[in-house]
Amino acid sequence: MSSSDLIDIIRTVLCRTLTAEQATELSAATVPVPVPTGGVVFREGDPSTGLFILLRGYAEVTKKTPDGKTRGIATITGPTVVGEMGLITSRPRSATVRAVSDCELHQLTRTQFERMIKAERMAAYKLVATIADVLARRVEAMDQQLMGLDEPTRAAAPVADLTALREKLFTEWSF
Amino acid sequence: MSAFEEVNYYFRRAARVMDLSASVEKMLVTPFREIKVDVSIALDNGQLGTFIGYRIQHDRSRGPMKGGLRFHPSVDLAEAQALASLMTWKTAVVNLPYGGAKGGIAVDPDTLSPRELERLTRQFVQQIHDIIGPQRDIPAPDVNTNAQIMAWIMDEYSKFHGFSPAVVTGKPVELFGSRGREQATGRGVVVALEEYLADAGLGDVRGKRFAIQGFGNVGSWAARFLHERGGIVVAVGDARGGIRNPAGLDIPALVAHAAATRTVTGFPDADAVSNDDVLLADVDVLVPAALGGVITEANAKDVRARIVLEAANAPTTPRADEMLAERGITVLPDIFVNAGGVTVSYFEWVQNIQQFSWDEDRVNAELVRHMREAYATLARIVKSRQVSFRTAAFIVAIGRVGRATVLRGV
Repeated sequence: MSSSDLIDIIRTVLCRTLTAEQATELSAATVPVPVPTGGVVFREGDPSTGLFILLRGYAEVTKKTPDGKTRGIATITGPTVVGEMGLITSRPRSATVRAVSDCELHQLTRTQFERMIKAERMAAYKLVATIADVLARRVEAMDQQLMGLDEPTRAAAPVADLTALREKLFTEWSF
Repeated sequence: MSAFEEVNYYFRRAARVMDLSASVEKMLVTPFREIKVDVSIALDNGQLGTFIGYRIQHDRSRGPMKGGLRFHPSVDLAEAQALASLMTWKTAVVNLPYGGAKGGIAVDPDTLSPRELERLTRQFVQQIHDIIGPQRDIPAPDVNTNAQIMAWIMDEYSKFHGFSPAVVTGKPVELFGSRGREQATGRGVVVALEEYLADAGLGDVRGKRFAIQGFGNVGSWAARFLHERGGIVVAVGDARGGIRNPAGLDIPALVAHAAATRTVTGFPDADAVSNDDVLLADVDVLVPAALGGVITEANAKDVRARIVLEAANAPTTPRADEMLAERGITVLPDIFVNAGGVTVSYFEWVQNIQQFSWDEDRVNAELVRHMREAYATLARIVKSRQVSFRTAAFIVAIGRVGRATVLRGV
């Protein structure tokens, strides 16, 4: 894959607000990381070292459930970004990403990213803003999923609510 | 905190005391209908002027809705929502058979000619006449709206629905307005205080010392009534500054001075002071009667009055409210204290429906009776539940709105 492809991918998939110059700067800060079929891009629990731009290939994202089983979260294919949180925090990876075909990746390490932040490079700041937005949306989606899971128990509550409310308003809180 | 957050902060505090569930809280707090309309008019210069108008209707379980219309650039959904719910609570506290609504148009009326203002008002009515009405939603004046605008609303509405003076309140007296409206809020403020003083064994207004911030309609009438009852007003402030005379200001002379010069500053028989001096004056009762947010966590510890009589809307921030309570200072809350205005608006509506007008004595007597009954209910709750007057007011409001809601069926 040519470097101009990487720059385009950075501008479309990683952060849309970058200028051509800023995208070039970011691409120069990345390192190529080829991962053959079956190889691990990063493992759940490992300390985060940065984000990965998946240019080409298929990878699966998995998590370990509390009882030790492996659960598939998603299958991803290039061009896409994975592990964004690793850019901002060094917390352990929240999932495992494993190549199911030969994959071509570029990594933007935290060290490189922090260097750009220290040097007050606008590209790095724009990137952070985009990541924050992505994370916020994911949190929102997860919240909604949680609410959905809650539904059965929620439905019972309102009925009890109204009876109790009526009781309360006409006895304890009447005046 | 924004207006919305403040109203809901006090609401939530009371809801917690009453142990209401989150879903009930949400139901009570959420307006049931929000209308946004486009108000387009031909301007005098031939151009098209487009404005956005709102009417937020919060609750109607206790009766048709009541609330003002403001014409101001800052009019927006969030502010109107907060103010609409506040109207629901306020009418419930003084037991008026109303729910709450609020609205307005995002416009700076200073940029409009009188003809344009009239056209704007009439066009707004055309857009909302099917959701307002004597038995639905009764607007009133608010920021930058006045009796003339109410008259235009009544006129335009009547074209669609027949003769309907009761569609708005705050009308000119010559056009079905009520007598006693001008002094109503100021009178209610003083009655509220008198009831508290008597109940607390603190005597009456005579000989007590007062500081009043704001000398508009509410502040000046409150000052007059206090003075008539032998109260000593030692400090008064307005937008330009303050004045102080420890021996007591000559209020009738001050009223004349303010009418002539449009400010209290420059009054001969007093020293010039700052508005801060007025707020922190060494008096028995502090009466904020102008802007919101004047008693804050920055100055709450320095307030020397033992009673704060909230004649204005939201003069005390929530944090300052806590600090004053910690210092043992009694705060009589706006939601009760300044309800004299909306009470006489109710009387205007009643007179319109009866098609019979009351003399001023009757209006005043009914107002006093209403404020006294409201105080008695609040005092019972303050004593039995050991809560502040403000929390008690919200408890009364939530109780009344809640009961009406469940009786009508949810």
